[in-house]
Amino acid sequence: METSYYAPTDTTTVPSGWTYNPSTWRERIPLVVVATIGLLIALYLSAYQLRMLDTVWDPFFGSASSESILDSPIATILPVPDALLGAFGYLLDAVTGVIGSTRRWKTMPWMVILFGFAVGPLGITSLFLVIAQPVFFDAWCTLCLTSALISTVMIGPAMDEVLASLQYMQRVKRSGYSTWKAFWGDKAISSTVV
Amino acid sequence: MTARILNIGIGLWLMVLPFVLDLPRSWANHEYIIAPIIISIAIISTSESTRDFRYANTLLGVWLLLSPWLLQHLGMTYMLNETIAGLLVITFSLIRGKVSERFGGGWRSLLARTPAHLLAVQEKDKNKNQRYGS
Repeated sequence: METSYYAPTDTTTVPSGWTYNPSTWRERIPLVVVATIGLLIALYLSAYQLRMLDTVWDPFFGSASSESILDSPIATILPVPDALLGAFGYLLDAVTGVIGSTRRWKTMPWMVILFGFAVGPLGITSLFLVIAQPVFFDAWCTLCLTSALISTVMIGPAMDEVLASLQYMQRVKRSGYSTWKAFWGDKAISSTVV
Repeated sequence: MTARILNIGIGLWLMVLPFVLDLPRSWANHEYIIAPIIISIAIISTSESTRDFRYANTLLGVWLLLSPWLLQHLGMTYMLNETIAGLLVITFSLIRGKVSERFGGGWRSLLARTPAHLLAVQEKDKNKNQRYGS
């Protein structure tokens, strides 16, 4: 006779139909590290744009080329320099990447989706800025390109967790529970819906 | 992975093409717009969970094939470049490559009538019930 004990609450960490858990630290820490590197680059570029530095390091296209990008009308179109906005984006990436347990795809969907919203648009914005460099200003900026590369590289690895959260909310909806409550991490729902 | 890296390589080639062929400004801009998009799509579809995003590059490959015909003709070298690059981008974007993880039916499950991740739950419940006869 089997005497296995089944806990009344669901404690699975691997999402249903998945082969791994996208919210483990092994999945998230690399993204936080990469976002932090992006943050440092963006802060350095902001320091130039805020005139705290006189020049910008650029081993490939020369400082003058980088500076013409960083002083361009697009970079200065808003009250704050664009690199500072980028720095804020990377900070949001890192913070929303690090908050939450390794089950957060179901216990904290709002944080995972906020993380996805921080990572996705940052990458798309930097794609636009990469195109703008040669097309509008006929110049290149190595560190700006590096930052764009970093934000693009983050998108793919970040999206699996978002997918797991969205699928969880889909199951919540099919089970007849409130997706709004589940989005904010309702414990009763997350311990009932697998 | 290899197919994605090759498409990144083609994107980089298109990026330097304006220098190599000394293209006029408007044509250079065409490359400067399309190349970073191809590279970004290839980078994103390197991840297994977003692998199907590669089909976006299929469309861009088709655009590369059509662009010399739809826009002003600019000589044989340029046309050959765009055509070969277009064919290669299409080919590599159609290669799925290795996907060793499963994602509960992936992104398309979100629109599916019976999503794979939901079926997996039902399957598990059924097995449990059979085993314990409830």
